[in-house]
Amino acid sequence: MRSSLTPGVLSELRNIVGDRGLITAANQLQTYECDGLTAFRVPPSAVLLPETTEQVQYILRLCHRERIPFVARGSGTGLSGGALPTEGSIVISLSRMNRILNIDLPNQQVTVQPGVINANVTAAVAPQGYFYAPDPSSQTVCSIGGNIAENAGGAHCLKYGFTVTHVLEMTVVLPNGDLVLLGSKTPDAPGYDLAGVFIGSEGTLGIATEMTLRVMRKPEVVQVILAAFDTISAAAQSVSDVIASGQLPAAMEIMDRLSIEAAEISVHPNYPACEALLLIELDGPEAEVNLQMEVVIDICKKNGAWETRLAIDENARFLVWKGRKAAFAAAGRLSPNYIVQDGVIPRTSLPAVLEKINAMAAADKLRVTNVFHAGDGNLHPIVLYNRDNPGEEERAISLSLRILDICVEAGGSITGEHGVGREKQCSMSYMFADPDLETMQRVRHAFDPFNLANPEKLFPTPRICGERSRGAYAPHPIEASGIAEIF
Amino acid sequence: MSTSTATWPYQVAEQLASITGSDHVRIDGQKAITVSPADTTQVSQVLAFAQEKRLTVCPQGGATKQHWGQGGQPNLHLSLARLNRIIEHPWQDLTCTVQAGCKWSAVQHCLAMHGQFIALDPLFKEKATVGGILATNDSGALRQRYGSLRDLVIGMTLVLADGTVARTGGKVVKNVAGYDLCKLMTGSLGTLAIITEANFRLHPLPQHARNFTVVASQASRLAPLLASIRASHLLVQSLQLRHIGSQFELDVQLNAHPEAHQEEILMQMVRSEGLALESASEEIWEARETLFASDATVLRISTLPSQICAYADHLQLMQSGVDISSVAQGIGLHYVALRGAPEAITKAIRNIREDAARSQSTVAVLLLGHGVDAAAFNISSPVLSLMRSVKYHFDPDGILSPGKFFAGNVAE
Repeated sequence: MRSSLTPGVLSELRNIVGDRGLITAANQLQTYECDGLTAFRVPPSAVLLPETTEQVQYILRLCHRERIPFVARGSGTGLSGGALPTEGSIVISLSRMNRILNIDLPNQQVTVQPGVINANVTAAVAPQGYFYAPDPSSQTVCSIGGNIAENAGGAHCLKYGFTVTHVLEMTVVLPNGDLVLLGSKTPDAPGYDLAGVFIGSEGTLGIATEMTLRVMRKPEVVQVILAAFDTISAAAQSVSDVIASGQLPAAMEIMDRLSIEAAEISVHPNYPACEALLLIELDGPEAEVNLQMEVVIDICKKNGAWETRLAIDENARFLVWKGRKAAFAAAGRLSPNYIVQDGVIPRTSLPAVLEKINAMAAADKLRVTNVFHAGDGNLHPIVLYNRDNPGEEERAISLSLRILDICVEAGGSITGEHGVGREKQCSMSYMFADPDLETMQRVRHAFDPFNLANPEKLFPTPRICGERSRGAYAPHPIEASGIAEIF
Repeated sequence: MSTSTATWPYQVAEQLASITGSDHVRIDGQKAITVSPADTTQVSQVLAFAQEKRLTVCPQGGATKQHWGQGGQPNLHLSLARLNRIIEHPWQDLTCTVQAGCKWSAVQHCLAMHGQFIALDPLFKEKATVGGILATNDSGALRQRYGSLRDLVIGMTLVLADGTVARTGGKVVKNVAGYDLCKLMTGSLGTLAIITEANFRLHPLPQHARNFTVVASQASRLAPLLASIRASHLLVQSLQLRHIGSQFELDVQLNAHPEAHQEEILMQMVRSEGLALESASEEIWEARETLFASDATVLRISTLPSQICAYADHLQLMQSGVDISSVAQGIGLHYVALRGAPEAITKAIRNIREDAARSQSTVAVLLLGHGVDAAAFNISSPVLSLMRSVKYHFDPDGILSPGKFFAGNVAE
């Protein structure tokens, strides 16, 4: 396989990370040629697996000197192609930097390396009654570094906020190899909030190699209600009514019939069989939650819920959430191939937007199943297709992008938590005007004047958005061998 | 300033008047002109004009925190007073869009009609404007529960130094499309762009708020109580430690349904420390405002939350000859007023900064008393050059809020 790296550069890279930290063999590089968005694949020139901040610094200094583009990678579970290599780029995998460095419970802070798995942060503080709030569906495999790059959310960000709400301080290696500390363990670091802009920048501003996260006190009690409705609109109306009643649940999720069926086959959560399932989680002091739950159940019944089922003990709740979080992977049971989309709309426009999506899907002869973080208007339409049918993959990709256009037209966004990456960079120009994008580029130039950090992502480029070519799919080796499912 | 094509101030005023109308341009002596554009387009035209003429510009809202971050006198004060409309409040979506010149209290009053609010309690809310509060990143004790502005602003309309109008974020709470420039702008003291419009996420108004105070002669007496409150399941909205006069007062606002009996739980916690819980009025949350009265020098010091009480006591011991009052928020943000002889205050700030350098705390000087000498911020060098680079890319000629943050010229 061709490599754009000269033998001299390769040997310098080997000196930095050692033999164990450098991958150049074509069959091993394959693992890194895509992330969760498998329709796009580019093999990297080399993969580096640094183990220290210093090694990352040396690598980026070399990249800067030689003008080699680099793409940072966590667990590779991203759904927008954020970790997709760029032509001629190296991939820097942070998976070996996976240590929890410090736990400071009096200040509710945990300091970790970027390769630490999201769920392991909560696991480390759970015995003492704390948790890390951002909970993307892939939380058992995705890494904190990747969460920072994408500003990951999850079902519970309705109440608790996103990754950016919970990262206090980061050690960041800039694209020229300089080391900076962004944010601080104490509130309001002086100067510009560069941490705020770095989080969610999709690896285009540098690489975070150490981060201090905020953990929160576990609520005294948690209760989940499952409410079964005959229409999505009735479920959506219940969500609006709950908000209007002055409550802020920890999570409000809707799943449609297809998603429910898929989850049922996949992890057997024993959901009621219905057209629309509304799942509302309340947490807080026991007496408070009991009172709020009465109000919530009333609202659901008033809107026509024919079954309301309360999950109070931990096992019951675990199963409810397992079903919801398996929804993406479970789509594989409905259809050989699928695209998970991620749009946001003002929550009140949900019924109208759904109607449009269904009409478009019908016109394209494709099936779309829906799961939403209904509380904050974040839709995850899943476009089902079979790539063996000629032209179907193209139609599916086109439909999934047109769904985003509808979200923008409703006053929403093209992504609530999956990021822009490669998948949606052309949709950026639909959501933002040129001056808006040009203003973002000013930030990028301040951090990365040579455009080395994850280039050709996030922003629309003439080369990519001009041609819109999307390579044919080939199953990922670990997917084909059954080791992993796509999230 | 280069006035090669326009003489100062009359011709400049005339040209500004051609944008905004002469009623909205005021010459303030020989030093400055105040211009009040009507909308974002006029703000853009004024800035494009200023950039072309190399005139420096400071945005101005209610002028309650104009001196924060120090900086020099600008040629133009750009008042946002006429951008005072609440554009929309789609209450079922729990969001709102308002213009930057809106008074904070006016916005809250309007949102309250649907039982909602922007969950922030800034200083001087009758006078302060949305834009000014964003530019200074001001926040009160409610931050304990709801976070600061960075967690509440979801979109903005900005005008850059060259007149470019840009929008960032959007109207939905959950949105990761592109860089979040709202966060970059919040607290940037008007040095990067002028905010003309902002979108906020809203919260339901608390329905069962109750205020309490616990008094002690030393902050350290309150430390175990504060630690157990922070580790408890109490629904604490606001938390602050006041030291105005001779005693220390720990203020707590709870917001739980009476049937949850949280008041009794708090009472037990207080008693077990040998202290007494008293009911308090809503006014305690405005105590921060008294710090800014009568030519005080005001600092904002950050410590770890666990250090609040120890630091409040430590401050009292560290100084001699300076009167210190403080209001510390539960998250670890101390507002500290220093009063006394200017030389003594200057020396005190130096001591506080040296002390801070040994711990994890940071010190910002918000307001300088007469004759006091201290830099607004101490930012260490690698990250300072990155901030300078950001400033340079947004405002290469340095026309916006000159001198704020950066004492010298803009780098590069």
